[in-house]
Amino acid sequence: MSRVFITGIGVISAIGNRVAENHAALMMGKCGISRSGGFPSKYSGILPYGEVSLSTEELKERLHINDAGITRTMLLAINAFDEAVQDAGLTSSQLTSGNTALIGATTVGGMCLTDELYSDANDVNKHSPFLSSYDCASAFLYMQQRYRMNGLINTINTACSSSANAIMYGARLIKNGFATKAIVGGTDCLSKFTINGFNSLHILSSDVCMPFDENRSGLNLGEGAAFLVLERETDTVNKKVYAEITGYCNTNDAYHPSSLSGAGDGPYLAMKGALAEAKLSPGQIGFINAHGTATENNDIVESNAMIRLFGTPPAFESTKSNIGHTLGASGAIEAVYCILNLTYQEVFPSLHFKQPITGTGLQPVLSFKKTALTHVMSNSFGFGGNCTSLIFSKT
Amino acid sequence: MFYIHQTCCISPQQTYTDPDINMLVESAGNKLTVIEPSCEGIPMKVLRRMNKGVRIGVGAALPLIQGLQELSGIIIGTANGGMEESILFLNQIIEYNEGILMPGNFVQSTANAAASQLSLLSHNKGYNMTHVHRGTAFENAVIDAAMMLKENRRHSYLLGAVDEISGYNYKFEQIEGWYKKEVVSNKHLYKSDSPGTIPGEGAVMFLVNNVKHNALAKLAAITTIHSENAMTVKHIMEDFLTNHVLAEGNIDLLLTGEDGDNRFEHFYLQCEALMDSNVTVARFKHMSGTYPTASAFALWLACRALTSQTLPGHMIKKQGSQTGYKNILIYNHDKGKQHSLMQVTITADGVHGKTL
Repeated sequence: MSRVFITGIGVISAIGNRVAENHAALMMGKCGISRSGGFPSKYSGILPYGEVSLSTEELKERLHINDAGITRTMLLAINAFDEAVQDAGLTSSQLTSGNTALIGATTVGGMCLTDELYSDANDVNKHSPFLSSYDCASAFLYMQQRYRMNGLINTINTACSSSANAIMYGARLIKNGFATKAIVGGTDCLSKFTINGFNSLHILSSDVCMPFDENRSGLNLGEGAAFLVLERETDTVNKKVYAEITGYCNTNDAYHPSSLSGAGDGPYLAMKGALAEAKLSPGQIGFINAHGTATENNDIVESNAMIRLFGTPPAFESTKSNIGHTLGASGAIEAVYCILNLTYQEVFPSLHFKQPITGTGLQPVLSFKKTALTHVMSNSFGFGGNCTSLIFSKT
Repeated sequence: MFYIHQTCCISPQQTYTDPDINMLVESAGNKLTVIEPSCEGIPMKVLRRMNKGVRIGVGAALPLIQGLQELSGIIIGTANGGMEESILFLNQIIEYNEGILMPGNFVQSTANAAASQLSLLSHNKGYNMTHVHRGTAFENAVIDAAMMLKENRRHSYLLGAVDEISGYNYKFEQIEGWYKKEVVSNKHLYKSDSPGTIPGEGAVMFLVNNVKHNALAKLAAITTIHSENAMTVKHIMEDFLTNHVLAEGNIDLLLTGEDGDNRFEHFYLQCEALMDSNVTVARFKHMSGTYPTASAFALWLACRALTSQTLPGHMIKKQGSQTGYKNILIYNHDKGKQHSLMQVTITADGVHGKTL
């Protein structure tokens, strides 16, 4: 089975519209979470969000897209996709090759158009141009047509671990010979739908989120997208290579539809399985980009699972303190951040942390540091017990 | 690729217990809705919270996994999973003006609800995946299962597909012209010669592994095509037939997803034209109706054809000269955009009287 290398990355989030902007913001410990809120919801401007600075109209203009039925979810994805493809230097014939796969992930999909969907679903006399844009697949069906891609196309939705699974699936397609290149990632945008959903579960914080802090009070929703270009080793001779995907594992916590078990079997088994796939021992992981949503439930369970596996966990942080929880996009965005960790041999500060959780004593990285890193791990856990851990290694 | 050992199918036909597909259950109101079994084995309080899609998904899966010691994971394809719950939650948001809302619908609104309910009910902590790529959601689940079984030779997986006709996706598809405007019975679906089809739904589950012995069938090859261009589709099909399918021997049955939509029938006719004249051609959408993961129902039928060596007359479009079924090709497309081919073959054990 071929080794799988990452040769291109693209990201858009609350701290920047391109990789370089995100990198600079992470180094400075910039927080992109604010009460601005330019989207239609009663909670817009009231609760803090990690909102992408570009409006939907500005994104359309920037990307020269005027097609009917285009959603913000799609625009964020295209912005990140274009950057990743350009970064990897893929030619148009490589993009359209039958051996280049596109694996996307989203949980909100076209449901970001909450009001349009309500009207389409309930008003018999009216319908919008978005009828076929509501499902999750619509974003990636549109992209497949836009870029005339002919390889395997897929959309994954495993809630908040969706794009970590898209990365895993793309890597496995290459290893199993179903593709030689895979462009993998995820996208989700802020919407009335998810804000009200998480609010009904009482897990949205009214302040900026505090991952792994004793007094954390919930998550902040964010939005964004990220894509990675994966290529098999033999195609990367004389190419810039960021990192290798060495480990991945998908498990289910099998405990509750919307919270993790106290024992944290799902997170523990995902991290353990990723290590086994990479043939690494726990001590070889230099850094973890934790799921770290700052909910009461996640951070204690994830902490305990890390302690259970690592004894003393390696340096870790949650970049959700910079950009909020971007749901189906978070696995891919955080994968890009891990690649920055490896490429520049540095770790970024976790923000808003004051006091360790009683009983764990764990403290995330609190300041920007240059440090030698060979293997980094990224965790993504979601509703329905879906847990995925990925390991990226220096080549 | 892999072997299919057990199947369970909830469909608009009598496929769940004591399957009898000779008698065709007729559509009602231009729809084919599933015959829902009473789901024994699911606690009442859990059942009450499930929407129809999750209910039939779990209902079809439980008989295959209950009491099973060695299930390595759950791989589900669903295009519209969670849609109904999403709209119920959306209605709450608007009707209560973003006030205090009940989270139940929101929690069940993600497409992974069926796969995660199954992991909960079977205490399965293994691989758990939900593919949602509309007309190839099930095919991606099949490819995923094939890869898992290549990576883990001794594993067994639950592989399946589920989609329901929810009031909302029905409405959207109807407005977009995907359903027939005139009253059509499924008994006369293929004679309708008009645009659109009749919607259907179903949940079909398979237990798959690498063990040849006692298998119902082998899933030998699969490919997906994303194109609206007939020539592109034809070329990829020809390559697939030459490089993968014919290596296993000549096809004796072509099972197509023809669905009475005269705008897209040409794709099916093009595929039929690629077959030798002695190949039997059969259809299945008059039984299942049209839905994005209907190819899983076709795979169930293929397993049945291989084990029973017969197909009901109402399925046959063209009777070929070969007797018996050993090598079946399934061709389906969704809205003329997403196409798939699956090859299903008889196992070396031959026909062993095992019934579905």
